[in-house]
Amino acid sequence: MEKRLTLVTAAALLAVIGLLPVLAMVTSSFYISGSFSLKAYQTLLASSQQYALLLGRGVLLSLLTSALATIVGVPLGVLIGKTDLPWRGAFAVLFTLPLLIPPYLIAVAWGTVVGKGGWISQAWPSATSDLLSAAFFGLPGCTGVLFTAFMPIVMLLTITYVGAVNPRWEEAGRLVSRWPNVLRRITLPLIAPAILFAAILVFLLAFGEVGVPTYLRYPVYPVEILTQFAAFYDFGAATAAAIPMLVITLAILTLEYRLLHNSILELKPVVPGAARSQIALGSWRFLLFGIVLGWALLTVLLPLAVLLIQSASPSAYGEALLRASDSIVRSLAFAVIGATALTLLGFCCGYLVHSRAPPLWRSVDALALFLFTLPGTVIGIGLISLWNTPMTNAVYGSPAILILGYLAQYTVLPMRITSATLERVPRSLEHAARLCGASWFMSLWYIVAPLAKRGLIAAWLISYVFCLRDLGISIVVYPPGSDTLPVRILTLMANGAPSLIAALCVILIVVTLLPLGVVSLWLRHGARQS
Amino acid sequence: MKKAFWIIPVVFVALAIALWRYYSPGGAPTVVVYVSHDQVFSEPILKDFEKETGIQVRAVYDTEETKSAGAMNRLIAEKRNPQADVYWANEPIRAEVLRQQGIAAPYISPNGAGIPETFRDPNGYWTGFAARARVLIAHRGTSPKPTSMLSYTDPQWRGKTVIANPLFGTTTTQIAALFVLSGDERGRAFMQGLRDNAVKMSPSNGDSADLVARGEFAFSLVDSDDVVNRMKQHQPVEMIYPDQGANEIGCFVVPNAVVLIAGSPHPSAGEKLIDYLLTKETERRLAFSDAAQIPLHPDVAMPPYLQPIASIKVMKVNYMEIASKLQTILPFLKNWAGF
Amino acid sequence: MSMIEFRAVSKVYPGRLVIDALSLKIEAGERVVLFGPSGCGKSTVLHLIAGLVAPESGDILINDELVAAGGRNLCELEQRGIGMVFQDLALWPHMTVSENIEFGLRARKVPDKERKKRVRDVVDLVGLGDYLNVKPGELSGGQQQRVALARALALAPRIVLMDEPLSSLDEALNIQIRKEIRRLQGELGFTLVYVTHNRDEAKDLGTRTMHLRNGRIDSAFNMGHSS
Repeated sequence: MEKRLTLVTAAALLAVIGLLPVLAMVTSSFYISGSFSLKAYQTLLASSQQYALLLGRGVLLSLLTSALATIVGVPLGVLIGKTDLPWRGAFAVLFTLPLLIPPYLIAVAWGTVVGKGGWISQAWPSATSDLLSAAFFGLPGCTGVLFTAFMPIVMLLTITYVGAVNPRWEEAGRLVSRWPNVLRRITLPLIAPAILFAAILVFLLAFGEVGVPTYLRYPVYPVEILTQFAAFYDFGAATAAAIPMLVITLAILTLEYRLLHNSILELKPVVPGAARSQIALGSWRFLLFGIVLGWALLTVLLPLAVLLIQSASPSAYGEALLRASDSIVRSLAFAVIGATALTLLGFCCGYLVHSRAPPLWRSVDALALFLFTLPGTVIGIGLISLWNTPMTNAVYGSPAILILGYLAQYTVLPMRITSATLERVPRSLEHAARLCGASWFMSLWYIVAPLAKRGLIAAWLISYVFCLRDLGISIVVYPPGSDTLPVRILTLMANGAPSLIAALCVILIVVTLLPLGVVSLWLRHGARQS
Repeated sequence: MKKAFWIIPVVFVALAIALWRYYSPGGAPTVVVYVSHDQVFSEPILKDFEKETGIQVRAVYDTEETKSAGAMNRLIAEKRNPQADVYWANEPIRAEVLRQQGIAAPYISPNGAGIPETFRDPNGYWTGFAARARVLIAHRGTSPKPTSMLSYTDPQWRGKTVIANPLFGTTTTQIAALFVLSGDERGRAFMQGLRDNAVKMSPSNGDSADLVARGEFAFSLVDSDDVVNRMKQHQPVEMIYPDQGANEIGCFVVPNAVVLIAGSPHPSAGEKLIDYLLTKETERRLAFSDAAQIPLHPDVAMPPYLQPIASIKVMKVNYMEIASKLQTILPFLKNWAGF
Repeated sequence: MSMIEFRAVSKVYPGRLVIDALSLKIEAGERVVLFGPSGCGKSTVLHLIAGLVAPESGDILINDELVAAGGRNLCELEQRGIGMVFQDLALWPHMTVSENIEFGLRARKVPDKERKKRVRDVVDLVGLGDYLNVKPGELSGGQQQRVALARALALAPRIVLMDEPLSSLDEALNIQIRKEIRRLQGELGFTLVYVTHNRDEAKDLGTRTMHLRNGRIDSAFNMGHSS
C-alpha cells in the first residue's frame, strides 16, 4: 500500500511539476485578453513558409550534429570502453567535460580562437582567417560547437552498452574471425538500438538549442520562439510557434519508443567488475592513442585553455569574485538542493519504471524524456503561466520555482540511472526483507539503497551538474536578486571585460567538477580501505 | 545505513532552511527592480542605493537582447501578479509599452524637475534620464564620412555598411521614429533601400561597432556608448552625430526610462529608488562610466568625449507615437529581417 | 483445518498462463515438495503463498484466513508468518551474518536483549556459531545456506518456503543440508513447502510430493519417509 501510494505520488508530482506548466502555456495560447482566439495559430499558418525554412535549418543543424556525434562518438566509445587504449579513463573524463558546461560558453571560447581578431587571425593569412571566421559564424560553427557539446552522450552510452554484450558471443565470433569483423558483425549490431537512441537524443537536444545558434548568427526555429518573446512581447504567438517543435519532438520520441525501447531494455548495462572481453590494439595502440589525444587537445583542451589564458590574471579572478561571489554561492546551494530533490523524485520514478508497474511506468518514462528534450525557456515560460499567481507567490517568488524547473526538466536523468542501477540488485533481496517483516520503506532504506549506493551517488552528481549548468529555465524564472552563475555570466557578457567573463567561466567549470573530484577521491579511499 | 549517510539529508535541510530564512520577508526593507540597462553599469548604482538607504535591492538583469526572453517580457508575463517594483528601461519605448499594457503606475518624482519634457511622460508613467544618442560609428579610414541616417541608401556605400537587427532594441525604436516622422511609405522605402544597398545585418549594436572598428564595414548606426567604448580602447573609429543640418531630421536620442510598476509589492521603496535614479549625481556617474550616458539634467559634469544634450540637434519625436508605430510595423520588420 | 489452501488459483504472466485453476491443500506440519520441470509454475506457487505476487483469480487461504482473493492480496507479506529461502539465497551482501538474521527481528521491534538471544539460538540451531560477524561473501556455499535457513527461521514462522535452495551445491553438501532441513522441521514443527526439479531431493525431503505440469497438478502421492 505504501509502495503503491509513494510511486503513484511520484508519478503525479512529475505530471504536475512538468506537464502542467506546458499544458498551461499551450492553453493560454488559445486566449487573448481572456477570450478564445485562434489568432496566434492563424499568424503561424500565415508565416508557414518562413517557419518551414527555419525548421528546415534546425533539422539540418540537428541532423549534422547528430551524425557527427555518432560517427565520432561510437568509435571513441569502443576505443575507451573495449580496448587497451592508454589513458582511456582520463579520455572518458576529458571528452565528457564539454557536456558539463553550457554550450554557448564553448562557442565563446572558440570565437576567441577562430573569430575575427582571434588567435588564428593573428597567426594566419587574413584570407584563411576570414574564411574560418565566416564558417564559424554560421552552420559549420554551430555544428562544430554542438557536436563538441553533445558527442559525450553518444560516447558514454556506447561505453556503457558495449560492455553489456555477452562476452561468450564475442568469443564465439573471435574463434572464426578477427576483432574488426566481430565488432562490425556482432557487437555493434547488438548495441545498435542504444546507439540510435543516443543519436536521437543528440538530435533533439540540438534541435531545441537556442544559445549557440543565436550567438553564432544561424537563425533556426527555436530562435524564432525567442524572437516572439524578446521583440514582440507576444506570448500567445511564441507558444503557438513552439507547437511545431513540440509535435516534432513528440513524434520522434514516439517512434523511438515503438521501435527501439524494448530492444534497449533487453540490453543490461554493464556490471562493474564483471568480466568483459577487451581488445588488444597491438601495433595500432600508439597511433590510435595519438589520434585520440590530438582530438582531445583540439576539441576539449583548446577551448578550455582559451578560457584559462584569457582569465590569467589575479585581478580577473578578484573582480570575478567581487562581482559574482553571491551568484556562485547561490548556484551551489540551488544545485545541491535541486540534485537532492531530483535524486529523490528520480529514485521513485526509476523504481516505478524498474518494477514495470503497468501501464503507468511507460507514461512516466516517456513524460520524463519528453520534458528533458524541451527547450528550457519553454518550460520556464510554462512555469510562469502556472505559478505566478497571488496564491502561489510563496513558491514563485522564491528559489522553489527554480527547483521545480529542474525537477521538470531533468528528472529523466536520475530516473534512468536508478532504473539501470536497480536492474543489478536482485529482486529477491528486497523480497527477503519484506518477508522478514520490513515495510517497503524499511527495505528501501536498509537493503536497496545501500546496495544501489553507487548508482544513487552517480544520479546525484549528474543531477548536480545539470542543475548547476542550467540556463534556459534559470534565466526566465530566477527570483529577483537570485541569479545563478550561468545567468550572471550571460548578463555580464554585455560590456563585461573578456578576462572577467573567462574567469567566471573557469570558476563555473571548477565548481561543477569539484564534487565529482571529491566523490571520486572518497570512493577510491573507500575501495582501498575495504 | 552508515551514519555518514545521515549527513546528506541534514545538509539538505540546513541549506533549505537557510535559503528559506534568507528569502522570507523579514524586517529589512526591499525593492525589486528589473533592469534592461547593462548590469556592468547599473549594478554599481543600485549597490550604492542599497548602502545609502539601507533598502535591499533585488534585481533581475537583462542580457543582450537576442539571448533571452528579457526582463521586459518577464514584466509582461507577471502582469497579473507583479513581482517588480521598478523597471529601469534602457529606452522609453519599453516604458511606453508598459504604460499601454496597464503595467506602469504614475509617479512624478521631484528629482525629475529639470529634465526636458520631451524625455518624460506628461502623466508621470515614465521619466527619462541619462541618454544615449543614435550616432554613426565610422572607421577612420572611411572617406568621405557619412552624415545622415539616409547615407545607408547611398549607392557609394553599397555592401559596405552594417546595421543591428531591427527587431531589437534601439535600432527598432529609431526605425519606428523614422516611420513616425516621414510616414509609412518613406519608411518602407528606406528599409527597401537598405536591402537594395546590401546592408549587412548584425545581432546587436555592439557587434556592429566591432565590425566597423575592425574595418570590415565603413559605418554603422549604433548607440553613442558603443562608440565611446571603442574609442577608449583606441580603436580606429569616429563618432558622427547624424542629420545635424538645418533641414535635417536631427539625431535620435534614447534616454533610459524609469517606471513604477502598478500593483507592486513595495511601492514606497520603489518611489525612493526612482528618486535616486533621477538625481544629477546618478547621471554624472553614468556619464563618466563606460556607459557614457549623456545627462539630461542641465549643469551636470561630463567627460569631454560626450556632447551636452543642449548642443545636439535632437530628433523631435513623441515616444508615445513611436511606441504605437512600433507595434504596427513589427510584422513588416519581421518580414524584412527574414523571420 | 489446512495451513495452506489454494482454491482454483490462476496466475498469468505476459503472454503465458503459468498457474491454471490450481487447487491444493497443505496441512500443518507437512513437508510438501513441489516437483516438476523448469517453467511449470513451481516457484510461482511459492510466490503466491508468500504474497510476492497476487493471483489473477481464485482464493488463497493461510491458516484458514483469506489472504488473497478477487485478483489481489488481502494480507501483507510480513503478516503471513512465512519464512523463505530463495533460490539465490538473497543474503544481503553488505550486512554481517548477525545483521542478516536479526533484520526481521529489528523490523518487528523486538527488544535488543531478546533479539540477541534469538539470533544466538537460531545460529546454534543451524551450527553457525563462529561466523556472526562475517559477511556472507566470505562464507562457503554450505555456510551461506545455513545463514539463509537461520534468517528464515529467526521469526519462528509457521510456514517455511524453499525455492530450489540446494541446486548449486555438490552432492555431499546437498545431502548434508537436506538432513539439516529435515531435522529442523522435525524440531520446530513448521510447515515446509519445498520446490525442486531434483528427484532425489523430492524423495528425501517430502512427506508428500505434488507433481506440477503446465501450471496444474499432474499427480499427487504420499511418500513415506522416516525423518
